[in-house]
Amino acid sequence: MKPFTYAAASSLEDVVGALDEGCRPLAGGTDLLGLMKTGIRGPERLVSLKSIEALEGVERREDGWRIGALTTLSELASPARGGEQRELEVLSRAAAESASPQLRNAATIGGNLLQWPRCWYFRNWLTRCWLKGGDRCLAAGGENRYHAILGAARCHMVHPSDPAVALAALDARVELRGVHGVRTLKIDAFFGEPKPLRENGTVVERDEVITAVVVPRPSRESRGVYVKLAERKVWDFALVSAAVQIEMTEGAVTDAAIVLGGVAAKPWHAFEAEGRLVGEALTGTAMEAAASAATAGAVSLSQNGYKIELAEGAVREALRRLQRTFGSESTGVG
Amino acid sequence: MTETVGRPWVRADARAKVTGQAKFPGDFGMADMVHAKILFADRPHARVVSIDTSEAAQVEGVVAIFTAQDVPVNEYGLQTADQPVLCGPGSGKPGADVVRFVGDQVALVVADTRAAAEQARGLMEITYEDLPVVSDPFEALKPGAPQIHPGREASELHPELSTEGNFICHHQIRKGDMEAGWAQADVVVEGQYHTPGQEHAYLQPEAGLAYIDDEGRVAVVVAGQWAWEDQRQIAHALDIPVEEIRVIYPAIGGAFGGREDMSVQIVLALAAYRLQRPVKITWTREESIRGHCKRHPMWFRCKWGATREGELVAAEVQVVADGGAYCYTTNKVLGNTTITCTGPYAFPNAKVDVDGVYTNNPPSGAMRGFGAPQGIFAAEMQMNKLAEALGMDPVALRMRNLLQDEMPTTTGTPLAGGVHLQEVTERCALAAGWERAEEGWRKPAAKGVALAGRPKEAMRTGMGMAVGFKNVGFSFGYQENCWLRIELRGEDDIERAIVTIGTADVGQGAHTVLQQMAAEALQVSMERVSLEASDTGTSPGSSGSASASRTTFMAGNAIREAAALALDGWREGERPAVVEHTYLAPETTPLDPDTGEGFPNFAYGYVAQVVEVVVDVETGELRVRRVVCADDVGKAINPEQVEGQIEGGVVQAMGWVTCENFIAQAGRVLTPHLSTYLIPTIADVPERMETIIVEKPDPRGPWGARGMGEMPFLPLAPALLAAVHDATGVWIDEFPLTPERVLRSLRDGGSLLECDWE
Ligand SMILES: Cc1cc2nc3c(=O)[nH]c(=O)nc-3n(C[C@H](O)[C@H](O)[C@H](O)COP(=O)(O)OP(=O)(O)OC[C@H]3O[C@@H](n4cnc5c(N)ncnc54)[C@H](O)[C@@H]3O)c2cc1C
Repeated sequence: MKPFTYAAASSLEDVVGALDEGCRPLAGGTDLLGLMKTGIRGPERLVSLKSIEALEGVERREDGWRIGALTTLSELASPARGGEQRELEVLSRAAAESASPQLRNAATIGGNLLQWPRCWYFRNWLTRCWLKGGDRCLAAGGENRYHAILGAARCHMVHPSDPAVALAALDARVELRGVHGVRTLKIDAFFGEPKPLRENGTVVERDEVITAVVVPRPSRESRGVYVKLAERKVWDFALVSAAVQIEMTEGAVTDAAIVLGGVAAKPWHAFEAEGRLVGEALTGTAMEAAASAATAGAVSLSQNGYKIELAEGAVREALRRLQRTFGSESTGVG
Repeated sequence: MTETVGRPWVRADARAKVTGQAKFPGDFGMADMVHAKILFADRPHARVVSIDTSEAAQVEGVVAIFTAQDVPVNEYGLQTADQPVLCGPGSGKPGADVVRFVGDQVALVVADTRAAAEQARGLMEITYEDLPVVSDPFEALKPGAPQIHPGREASELHPELSTEGNFICHHQIRKGDMEAGWAQADVVVEGQYHTPGQEHAYLQPEAGLAYIDDEGRVAVVVAGQWAWEDQRQIAHALDIPVEEIRVIYPAIGGAFGGREDMSVQIVLALAAYRLQRPVKITWTREESIRGHCKRHPMWFRCKWGATREGELVAAEVQVVADGGAYCYTTNKVLGNTTITCTGPYAFPNAKVDVDGVYTNNPPSGAMRGFGAPQGIFAAEMQMNKLAEALGMDPVALRMRNLLQDEMPTTTGTPLAGGVHLQEVTERCALAAGWERAEEGWRKPAAKGVALAGRPKEAMRTGMGMAVGFKNVGFSFGYQENCWLRIELRGEDDIERAIVTIGTADVGQGAHTVLQQMAAEALQVSMERVSLEASDTGTSPGSSGSASASRTTFMAGNAIREAAALALDGWREGERPAVVEHTYLAPETTPLDPDTGEGFPNFAYGYVAQVVEVVVDVETGELRVRRVVCADDVGKAINPEQVEGQIEGGVVQAMGWVTCENFIAQAGRVLTPHLSTYLIPTIADVPERMETIIVEKPDPRGPWGARGMGEMPFLPLAPALLAAVHDATGVWIDEFPLTPERVLRSLRDGGSLLECDWE
């Protein structure tokens, strides 16, 4: 590991002023430190954000939820009880199904959105793939069972985050603070195209830190679920996941967000599938139509075609669960 | 009678381990010690043209850098010394300048701190000339394939080792008359199978400390399985007398066969010897996964025939095993595959060919089951398919063909020590719900399940069974032996019994069991027995390896015999009464190179399992609901530990079949972390585990005990795949059963294995 210096940040202004190519922010460290040990990342300075109180806490405001960047996945996974928590159900489930209890205690939501890809060519310090400045994506012609089926061009990484998928379904915004001020970006805009040697495919600038994630309050008629499919029951990244948030009014879907994880370099909005649901009741036919439209445009590599089937299965299962949720509520059960 | 044998004594090491007091190799340190880092080749096949240490040597704190030219005899290996200690020019050993897999070691950098050693390692300038890589054993056998070990010599000790091309070794069986066999066969089942490699994933990555002890010996504190063998190989490479090397095993964080071969031992000893200072090393998990051997991946082509009534008449099996870059124990592992790949059945006619092949993959070596899990997998897949083809119940078909006392195996001789395959099969089947009706065995009807609200039509349930057997000890002509020393102290009564033995406790609880057996044999209480184990400084004789399910059997017999001698001395008034004794196991023979005839083993263990699964056909996910395991252990010296071994074996086998997926691309490891190489967690283990301990004594086992550590691993894979077939109607002939493979197999109606068999 390359030697580095460490300091705890004194204020947000100081951090923002200090950040550059060689000076990077540290949150829980569950991703960054591992990458430094294997030599994939080698900052000269680390500034810990953990001392900045302004980045902590979850608040429910008039217009929505404000989730401080230092909020841990554990906190998101088991929020204090109360009726309104149901508003973030999809996010709680996604956080609860991430990693392991120990990791969730340390991992922050800010770091989670900025975690680096798990692609085994990227994580292998012996290879130089396109994302690390090499001339091509090694997965395209190599071992690619875990790689992208949607939207990939030069690089076939998939974004590993579960919470990001749920946040996209909740239409969340990421609040960034840099030397030039504050900006907020929708999840989709926050994750740009993968770019070599950049903060893992996001549009975050070198001087920026995530200060919070802001989630508009879902309507009272809105419910969400998260379905994650993996090779191991727990403590594993998603092969494919689906975050689905649906609003039902008088028996018909009035708003639908269907977002897939594990299939692309960012949470993947299945717009076509959403379109198949709006205006419909949650019938078997409508659900099936949505599930099979979810992977429209998918292109598989030599080994990852099964993800198409899995993605459709995940959406189908998510819709079935929502059908049960809405069904039991309308009959007053549960 | 003290009756210490047969009772669930709490493990002697339990308290120290759960309170964090037990010391593992990585926990040792000394005042003036220095730290070492190994420079691995990280390329699968290359010639080391030159090594430039000048820049690395400049790093502050660097004490020494060792390369090939510093190793007196630059070779080692358990069966044949085909691996350089350090790869590079200048050692005088032909071929030692070539690296043959990514984990080959090129240099040892020693410095005052770990950080300095690591920094200097990064500044080493190695010039390589890459050589063509072969990572597929079938490709490696083709004319013109890159040669991994050209010009090697025949071994007198191990005639099965080959000198030809990339063949490591060959075993074969020719029994009966194949043509006559096929003529009798009404039903013939043909199948191809592939079993993957497996990482041991023990809790504790390799680590060690070497120093010069009070008597001037080079002492190496390390985790291994056979201290005496480690000592021999270190002495050979350093070219100093064996007595000047001392190997000490403290608490060992698991082994499973992966510590049978060397890792850090020789380089640590070399550095301590040359520097006359303590030297410490600790591997990262990544170094451990890249640096040590794996289970042998194997490919099978099988053709079995039976009469309409279900009598097995002929079996033809061809096996190719990827041995990786070095021999390790491949010849021994494949001996076990040879005798297990036709299952525990009485075949009058059999033709078996087994080849081990060199490639540029990580070496394959010992791992729990030692070649038997692969052989049993192919055999039991064939058996379950035969049952289907014959329209017979799988238990009924087995009961008709299982080996019994006095029946010859494919090697022409019966299994030794009493054959109880029918007992374990019957007990397992009955416990799992089979009925033995007038007309024969009847499998219980499958029950549908609703799991967490998943739609019933997507959830398929199934139940499958398989039977296994495996030898105890290495044998195949090798004279198994176990040395120990007993010292009885006291005046009127025996106040203290000190048992000194080389045997390693690799985490399986061996030392507790040895203590129990010593107390029983000497008729003293457990507290009066103390064990001094795993230090060649105190145990000059070899007690053999902690592997091959041999420890309880071998050490138990040694204890029994030595205790009798020591008690004789005690009665005659010797104070202290001291006995040094070596137990010799019954003789065995190697397999005849042409016919495979022989008496390869002196003892066996038997096991049967039934597995129930739920397959989600929409997502390809599996859930193992229940495993029933009946294991004939002869005598459970410590029933609680036996149960632990059964549960552990089942879970480790489940990992192999379901989620563990070791992937190397052209020899380069893509899964060097436990975040990509997934071992089962508590959430993945079977929902219900029922263990049935069968105690049919082996007349030559201590208190009747047989070996048992590996047996529970054996039948799980074929039983689980039979359950998947029962659930979905599809035979999957390879694993791990990731969602990807399950969905693909369901779509294709089975596995489409393609190998280049010619
Ligand atoms: C074994 C394992 C399993 C895992 N499984 C899952 C899983 O199933 N699902 C899942 O979603 N995740 C999983 N993860 C990833 C884990 O959730 C992330 O590592 C974690 O969320 C990162 O948060 P952190 O606070 O530790 O980030 P750090 O490691 O501290 O930082 C990660 C990156 O983000 C930057 N950063 C951190 N905070 C900020 C900020 N506020 N502003 C700007 N930049 C910042 C850092 O500079 C760094 O580049 C797993 C990780 C491991 C090791």
